[in-house]
Parts: sequence; structure tokens; C-alpha cells
Amino acid sequence: MSRLEAKKPSLCKSEPLTTERVRTTLSVFKRIVTSCYGPSGRLKQLHNGFGGYVCTTSQSSALLSHLLVTHPILKILTTSIQNHVSSFSDCGLFTAILCCNLIENVQRLDLTPTTVIRLNKHLLSLCISYLKSETCGCRIPVDFGSTQILLCFVRSVLTSKPACMLTRKETEHVSALILRAFLLTIPENAEGHIVLGKSLIVPLKGQRVIDSTVLPGILIEMSEVQLMRLLPIKKSTALKVALFCTTLSGDISDTGEGTVVVSYGVSLENAALDQLLNLGRQLISDHVDLVLCQKVIHPSLKQFLNMHRIIAIDRIGVTLMEPLTKMTGTQPIGSLGSISPNSYGSVKDVCTAKFGSKHFFHLIPNEATICSLLLCNRNDTAWDELKLTCQTALHVLQLTLKEPWALLGGGCTETHLAAYIRHKTHNDPESILKDDECTQTELQLIAEAFCSALESVVGSLEHDGGEILTDMKYGHLWSVQADSPCVANWPDLLSQCGCGLYNSQEELNWSFLRSTRRPFVPQTCLPHEAVGSASNLTLDCLTAKLSGLQVAVETANLILDLSYVIEDKN
Amino acid sequence: MLSSMAAAGSVKAALQVAEVLEAIVSCCVGPEGRQVLCTKPTGEVLLSRNGGRLLEALHLEHPIARMIVDCVSSHLKKTGDGAKTFIIFLCHLLRGLHAITDSEKDPLMCENIQTHGRHWKNCSQWKCISQALLTFQTQILDGIMDQYLSRHFLSIFSSAKEKTLCRSSLELLLEAYFCGRVGRNNHKFISQLMCDYFFKCMTCESGIGVFELVDDYFVELNVGVTGLPVSDSRIIAGLVLQKDFSVYCPADGDIRMVIVTETVQPLFSTSGSEFILNSEAQFQTSQFWIMEKTQAIMKHLHSQNVKLLISSVKQPDLVIYYAGVNGISVVECLSSEEVSLIRRIIGLSPFVPPQAFSQCEIPNTALVKFCKPLILRSKRYVHLGLISTCAFIPHSIVLCGPLQGLIEQHEDALHGAFKMLRQLFKDLDLSYITQTNDQNGTSSLFIYKNSGESYQAPDTGNGSIQRPYQDTVVENKDELEKTQTYLKVHSNLVISDVELETYIPYSTPTLTPTDTFQTVETLTCLSLERNRLTDYYEPLLKNNSTAYSTRGNRIEISYENLQVTNITGKGSMLPVSCKLQNMGTSQSYLSSSMPAGCVLPVGGNFEILLHYYLLNYAKKCHQSEETMVSMIIANALLGIPKVLYKSKTGKYSFPHTYIRAVHALQTNQPLVSSQTGLESVTGKYQLLTSVLQCLTKILTIDVVITVKRDPQKVHNQDSEDEL
Repeated sequence: MSRLEAKKPSLCKSEPLTTERVRTTLSVFKRIVTSCYGPSGRLKQLHNGFGGYVCTTSQSSALLSHLLVTHPILKILTTSIQNHVSSFSDCGLFTAILCCNLIENVQRLDLTPTTVIRLNKHLLSLCISYLKSETCGCRIPVDFGSTQILLCFVRSVLTSKPACMLTRKETEHVSALILRAFLLTIPENAEGHIVLGKSLIVPLKGQRVIDSTVLPGILIEMSEVQLMRLLPIKKSTALKVALFCTTLSGDISDTGEGTVVVSYGVSLENAALDQLLNLGRQLISDHVDLVLCQKVIHPSLKQFLNMHRIIAIDRIGVTLMEPLTKMTGTQPIGSLGSISPNSYGSVKDVCTAKFGSKHFFHLIPNEATICSLLLCNRNDTAWDELKLTCQTALHVLQLTLKEPWALLGGGCTETHLAAYIRHKTHNDPESILKDDECTQTELQLIAEAFCSALESVVGSLEHDGGEILTDMKYGHLWSVQADSPCVANWPDLLSQCGCGLYNSQEELNWSFLRSTRRPFVPQTCLPHEAVGSASNLTLDCLTAKLSGLQVAVETANLILDLSYVIEDKN
Repeated sequence: MLSSMAAAGSVKAALQVAEVLEAIVSCCVGPEGRQVLCTKPTGEVLLSRNGGRLLEALHLEHPIARMIVDCVSSHLKKTGDGAKTFIIFLCHLLRGLHAITDSEKDPLMCENIQTHGRHWKNCSQWKCISQALLTFQTQILDGIMDQYLSRHFLSIFSSAKEKTLCRSSLELLLEAYFCGRVGRNNHKFISQLMCDYFFKCMTCESGIGVFELVDDYFVELNVGVTGLPVSDSRIIAGLVLQKDFSVYCPADGDIRMVIVTETVQPLFSTSGSEFILNSEAQFQTSQFWIMEKTQAIMKHLHSQNVKLLISSVKQPDLVIYYAGVNGISVVECLSSEEVSLIRRIIGLSPFVPPQAFSQCEIPNTALVKFCKPLILRSKRYVHLGLISTCAFIPHSIVLCGPLQGLIEQHEDALHGAFKMLRQLFKDLDLSYITQTNDQNGTSSLFIYKNSGESYQAPDTGNGSIQRPYQDTVVENKDELEKTQTYLKVHSNLVISDVELETYIPYSTPTLTPTDTFQTVETLTCLSLERNRLTDYYEPLLKNNSTAYSTRGNRIEISYENLQVTNITGKGSMLPVSCKLQNMGTSQSYLSSSMPAGCVLPVGGNFEILLHYYLLNYAKKCHQSEETMVSMIIANALLGIPKVLYKSKTGKYSFPHTYIRAVHALQTNQPLVSSQTGLESVTGKYQLLTSVLQCLTKILTIDVVITVKRDPQKVHNQDSEDEL
């Protein structure tokens, strides 16, 4: 008999978003990410049940890479956030929360996915074009001539990561270091196409944060014994460097596909060593001062070189090869004979250094675009968090160099944007809808869902039971502490808005963020003097935030568009 | 008894399977379709609206389902489109067939079908239906396409002779295509991207060869970048290789490149040989010689202005070093596809290091406009400005998206679009026999195709039926043999026709000349006119008895009666062919072709048109099989527009659209479509034939025998599974 029922090893589920399990999963995920958000965010400790590494973090990149997500829909969400974070480093949590909020808000409405997706897209392009426009009231130009605003940038990144466990003083110190490290990577005589150098982060765990420092050039870690054996070089001119990428251990490498027969009594090792010593002689005659090798140097060769006052350092490793090539201007040598004189590079000086318990060999460059950031923190987990934060800050600065604009942070951009969209959809819905098939009512509904999603992102900045308000002139965010008297004199309770641009002494009207407000026009076109006077602003990276916004809406649209989930159970 | 039960069961089982599949695919068909999320066993997620992908992702176990999926994928391999429509159409066809068998229980069934149904029930042989279907597909469909439908066709080309394409019509075609393939947020953007790509890669004289190249090497021509919004996707002039330079030396001006497929450095011994080392000095000299030789080769390349070395294998450190010293950039470890793509674009053969050096030029070098690293989201790629020697101007597509699954979807859709265009740019040959018999006043069409394509499917079908592991499908031997004989007969026909055709000058018919159409129609219905004037479209026909030969765009050959009997005598297995012999009428072989670039407006136009003409055809048929098959197919065709118009209401709902279309056809007015966008007729036609072939295969299956092969699972085996 023929079988009548189709058997499907893959699990196929229709309308996945409507199931209770998905809703619970999404809300659990949302709770995790919202509780991490902002300077007062709660930390998460991640470890697996079998012991091992424990990670304490509030950063999206660390959090998501440690979370094991199995549900396919959640996987879409986490993968797109991870992809965003790996390209822009910043705004991961913002993206995650916004995406969850959008999905949640839209599900409450009884609209077809087509309408929702279409309108979400319209609203997104409205946001993007506003944030990119000249009239935008929540972005400021970044002047690379002054360190003030750049420091604000770095400080904003550092303060938003509470798991680094930094005191105020330490934050100031690390901010300054990061900025210095960044500035060292910018070539001095930059014409046309700029190629940035690299900041290498050198770990120094168990030290005080205040001991962290930035040095130009490259630090190579060595044991004390090795370091003592190196003879000091006294030379007034620059040192000549040879950098080998091939092994100098005397191995006989690739001999081809056929067989090689060695007659009895023939010692290939000796032959190979002879060859190496010949190479050593060539290096001596070329007046090389420093030999660096990615792989292993034969001990005899090493000794031979040392005898001739050449410093030989091996096992550099592949990661340092590129910065070394760049810094010394060498051509990595892959040959054991006849080295072209152009392949040699140079360094200004070398010295030994001791930081904490570690010993380093320090190569000081002639022209510095490579620097080493010696980063200290008290324990492993805090160090890991600090390292990630430093990388984020450096990346944010690089992105800002490409697009010299900053968005006001501290939640002010989000509330301002929400106010702008509310105003736009109420007063000029035709321009958004254009020739679409959607109605104005649908637009109002979706716009409300969109704006409240944005506002609840900043709502999650508050973790201590405080209230969040917004003013009716700029559309900025103001937070008031918990257990303050109810209807009091607002200007006394509120001191500064979230980004620090405005203070409460102005004549402003406030309203609770959660309450409904009549749409108003938030003030556009930021006055220049306002920016100049403020010294302690909270700033966000424009590029990262724009992409985060786009990724959040695109991902939410994708998830809302799902009609089936086919799970491969193989 | 057993066999008939099983046969009836096979339609029922197939219908059940098809309905399950239909439920899944119909949610993502058309512009209103939604996405499906698939997870791979590796844990990655994939978004898809591609019917073929979804069907594969389901990992179906049911033998009939697997057969359907195989048919779909072989159809997709050819055309790149129509998997979802395939399932919907197949499901409706099965429903139609199933209804016939149940008609006795259903008093509401129309009388006509009922009588036929009883007839079929009595025969109890699905085999007959399957043969009738095959007959329809091979002999009747082409005629209807050519004689009735062709007047509605539009051409995508602004000038049919030169096959030039204007952007706006390509946009219409692509937008309609991507509507059904990517998320509704992105279809406009992706279709614009594809349009740009198309016009950037094409030179004015490039034709179908470009589509073939892009189709074959699509994977190498695009780069996926995750973490960026989709709108950052773009087209880059030149070729982007997903590799980094092993050594990069900035160069400008006259850049030449070479391709190598083995290590440049000579080695001690080659495969199969032996190298004997007798002394240490010998070893050192050999190593020295190798070094010198490598250096000399690289110097020689440098002297010939070669600044780029592309290698399909990993080169030793020595080669990399000397390349760097001599200012030659190196890209290693390219896949064989990448190498063959580059070779096809620039027409360059690999460089073999010469044994002896002379100052003569290296023959196998090519000029490159530029070669530089390209950084996309902090990952480095090699960017080559190749100078094309063929009609394809190299460009790469950079596809961005928040996640890999979405990029793959877009990549898939773009690839499919190229497959679709590749088909669209081909002429489709149609040829058929008209036969007029004045004695009994019937006229029937016998069409066979000379492309030979349609015969491939049954062969591969036999293979695929036996493929499922654990479940074995055993076919009735008799039937198999008959099918094979049948096939043989047809291949004879094909050969004879091809031979004949070579002697005849051949011209491509132009599009939709109404006059020609009328002549054709008159011709076929010549004898019908007098007898059946009641037919409602009959007034359209003029009593015009022009001789066949007056039409320049068609070729007809009148066969001697002897030849006809000769051919049909072999095909005595075919009931239809047997009748031919008895009637002894005169036949004329028509051979025509659907020119490349035929399109119709989207929104089920093709289906409604074919439905209309098939019904008309069925009314004129006196053979019960033909009528039955035509009716079933005609009704099943409407299933597709029904799904497409599912969400529409009021004036745009399906019944309204259908009535409007039929009215327009009856009054000979042009059809008005509510949607913009075009679709390829070739694609639709191929879909139809593929579905019919699939259905034929399903119907020929008599018994499905499940055999549990896995010896480790003996304890799981139930006694009833052993038949």
C-alpha cells in the first residue's frame, strides 16, 4: 500500500510570531538587553554550568557572543545585532531594544504585515533623511582641532559600560589615553588618501587602571632572562632591521611531490646550518642591527648573530608581522640567500621596559603611526570589558573621522526624533504616504508604535525607579530621581537634559515621557553658540546610530514578515 | 483489484502531498507573499521566498513528495523561476483529476464531466489520462500557444531584430520577478540593482553569451557583506576576488598580469620522480640553484612589466618574497572557478615558467587597468580592473544586509533572474501538424516539438523515482515499456523533422500580427465554421480560405500519405496515432517559433488567456480524452490567479478580473491589466510543460512499495510495512 501521509523530518510552523513561546522568548530577551542599557545598566554574569570562564558584562557584543540562542527567530535578531556590532562596535543594545520594542508594539495592532512593513520603511527613511539633513536639531559638527569634543565622545563610551568598574578619575585617565592612542595612529603628513595606523592593546592585568599608558611603537613581551641576554646597542643613527617571515630553524621545507633519497652519511642538518650561517654572514656584512623572525631561529644562528652584536628575536607570531612591516618599512624576507638591500627597514631605537611584572622589548619608530596601549585593570573580567570598551571607543573615533558629526547622547536624540516624527505624521501625512495604498489612520497607528518604541528605548536608561520627562521645546530627555516630591518645581529638580546641552533654568514645559502629548515641533537647527559653551556633553556616534536604526527596523520588518519557520532537525 | 486501488490511491496520495506543499508555498507567492525562515542543520538561519529552496529545506520523505520536489528542482535548474506556481498548478490539476473519480458521489458535478468521469472510472487506468496529458503537452499545447495566444504577446525588445532592450521594460520585468522573490521592502531596490548591473555589464553587441557567463559564474561575481543595511549594496566596476593580496605592491600605468596554476619555484622532485642526494654540497647547490632560478623568473616577469601574479595554488615564501622585491603583487589560492572566470573574461592561458630565458616576451600576459585592495567593512578584497576580451564588461555586485541569510536570499534571487533572462533571450521553437479532415468535419492538431527538451524529463524521472532511500517505488513494467516505445516513436519523428527543416529557409515570425492570426485561425477552424456557428467567438472568423503558403513567417510541408503511415505505424501504441491511420487524411506540418523576448503583463494574464482558449478548444474537440484533459488543465490554470488575487477585494478581486478579461476576449478588445509588470512567456510555457510531465509521472505510478533497508532498524520494522 502507498503511504498516505506526508512525513516531514523538518519541523514546519506557520505564523510563528503568534505563538506564546515566541512571545515569551522575545520578552525574556528584551528584559536582558534593556536591563543592561546605559550608564546605570545592570551587569550580567555569564558562565556555563561546567565551570570555566566567567564573563561579567553589560555590552551587547560580549553578551550576545556568550548567549546560546536556539530559537530561529531570536537567532535572526541576535545575528543581525552581532553583525552590526562587528561593523560599527557601538549601539548594539540600542538596536536590540528598538527592534524588540518595534515587534512588540506592532503586534498589538491589528494591521497586515504588508502595511506595517511599508509604513515602517517610510518612517525609517524619514528619520534617516532628518538625521542627515542640515536642519537636524540633534547633531553637532565634530571639530578635530579641539580635543574637548573628542574627549566627550570617548567619555560617553566609557561611562556607558559600567562593567569596566572605573572611578571618575580613572575614566578621565583612560579617556585621555584612548584619545592619545587614536591621534598617534593618524599619519603626520597626510595627503589625499589617509591610511590610519594601528593601536595595539597590550594586556597588563592585576595593575591599577591609573598605571595604563600609551607608547609609540611596538612592545614585544619577553622573559626577563631573555631580555638580560640581549646586549645593549649604543648607536646614534637609526637601527637597521631585517624581518623574516620564513623559518630560520634549518628545516628542509617543501621538496616536491616526488621522493628525495639521501645517501648514507650525508647530513642535511649540517648542510642547512651552513646555509643559515651564510645567511648570518650576509646580514653582518649588510650591517643589520636587529633580526626579527616570525618563526623560530636556529640557536646556533642566534648565537652567531649575538656574537656579532646583532639582536635576534624569534617567535614574533603572525599578528605582529603586519604592524612590524608597517612600522619598520621592511619587506618580510622569505629567502635564505641573496637578500635584496631594499628589504631592510629601520627603527629609531630599541630599549627594554618593565611594566608591572612583565618585561618588554620596545621598538621605537622613526615615524609613529603604530602605538601600543598598555591597558591595566584589576582583574581578568574587568580587563576584558575595558579592552572591548577601548576598541569600541577607538572605532567610534575612526568612524567619526570619516563622517565628522556627532549625535546628542543620553537619550536626547531618541526623544527629539520621536517628537519630530509625531509632528510630521500629524501635520504632513500626505508627503509620507505619497501614492501608497495605506490610509492616514494606519500611518498614525504605526507612527505611534514607532515613536513609543523609540521612547521606550530611552525609558530603559532609567533603572532605579526614577521618572523620565521630556521638554516641549527641544524634545530632549530629562530624568528625575526616584522618590522626589510629586508635583514640585521642575526646574529645581531637573538640572540638565540627558546630553548636557540644556539646563533647566530656561523657561521650559515638561511632560512625562509615558503620558500622551499633543504633537509639537521640536526646535531644529542647533545654534552654534549652544554647542561651543557646553563642555561636558554626552555624544553618540552618528554612523553607528544611523546603521543601528536601520538594522533595527529592517530586522523587525523581516521578523514581522515571517509566515513559516522550517526547522531543519538534522 | 489491488492495482486499481493503488492507482486511484496514487492520485489521492499525491493530492494530499501537494496540498500540504501548496499551503506552504502559497503564503509566499506573488507580491503579497511573505517570508519563510529556514534553519540549517548547522544552526544558521536562511530567509527565503524561493519555492525550490523551501521544498528542499523540508526534507520530505514521502516518495511522491520527493518526486515532485525532484521535478521542481530540475525545472528550476533550467528556468530559475516558477517553483511555487509549479506546486499550485500541480495541486489544482490533481484536484481536478480527483474530482472526476469522485463525480459519481457528487450530483452537483456538471453532466459533461460526469459522463467522462464514469468512462475514466470504468477504464480505471490513470495511465490513459497520463498519456492523454502527454499527448496534449507534446501535440496540442504548442498549437494553442502559436495560433491563439501569440497575438496577445508583447515583446520586451524595443527592436525585435537587434534584440535591443530598453531600460523601462526591463525594469517592469525585473520588478515583477523580484516581487515574488525577495522581501517587499527590498524588491524595488534589488531590481534596480540588477538593472544597473545588466546595463553596466553589457556591450551593445553582447547577447545571450553574457547571460550564460553570469549564470555560470554568479557566485564569483558577487560579494556578501554582513552588518550593513541592504541599501548599501552596490555595483563595483571590475572584478572583486574574495581574497587578500599575499603581497601588494602599489603600481600604476602599464600593469600586466599572469596566471599560474603551479608553484613558480622549481622543487627538488616532481611527482613520480626520485631525487638522489649524494653529498651535502649537492644539496646546497640545488637549493642555491632553486633560489637563483626563482629569482630569475620573477626578474624576468618584472622586465616584462608583469605586476600581478594570480595563482591557483599556494606559492612558497621564496616566491612571495621575490615577487615583493620585484614589485609584483601576488594573489594566491584562487578557486578553479575564479581562475576560469578570469580566463574567460580576458582570454588568457596560464603562464608556465620557461626552462631557458631569453629576452623574448612572455606570451601569456594580459593588460589590467588597475589592481588594488578593496576594503569592505574592514575586510580586505582584491579588486581587479580586467580588460575584457569578450562581450562581458566585468562588474561585481556587493550585496549588503543585516544578516547572511538575507544576503543569500538576494543572491539567490539575482541568480534566478539571470536564469530567467537567459531563457527569455532564446527563441522557443514550436512545431506541430495540422490535419484537416472534411469527411467528418473535425480538425485536430498534432504537435511535436523539435527541441528535444521535453523528452529529457521522463528519462530523469525514472532515475529519480528509484532514488529515495528506504522507500523503493516499483513501476508497472508494462507501462514503462510502453512509455519507452512511445518515446522512441517520438524521437523518430523528431529526427525526421529536423532533417527536413534543414532544407527550408527559416524566418522568425514577428510579434502579434493580427492578420496572420486570423488566417491561422481560419485555417484550423475552416471546416468547423459551417457546423458550429453557435460558438460564441465564431463571428470573429472570416471565411477566408487563403492557402497556407501565403504566410511568410510560417513553414509548412505537406507530407505524402505514405510517409505518415510510415511514422504512425511505429507508434501503434498511441491511441491517437492509430486513428490517424484510419482516417487517412492529408497533413501539414507547421513549424513556427516564439521569438525571444515574449512577455505578458503580470497578474495571471497568461493563465486566463490559456484557460479561455483551452475551453474553446475543448468545445470543438470530439475526442473525449482531449476534451477532458483540456478542461482539467484549463480549470487548473485559474488556480494561480486565484491565489494572486486572494487579498484583493471589490473591483480588483479575482471574479471581477476574470469576467473583465473574458469579456474583453469575446469582444476582441485588448486586455487591461490592473498591475504593472511583465513576465516571460517562455518561463510560463516551460512551467506548464514541466508540470504536465510531472503529473504524467505521478499518474504512471501504480504501486509504491516501501522497503526498509537499514538492517540496524530491524526491530522497528512492522509487519504491515512488508506489504
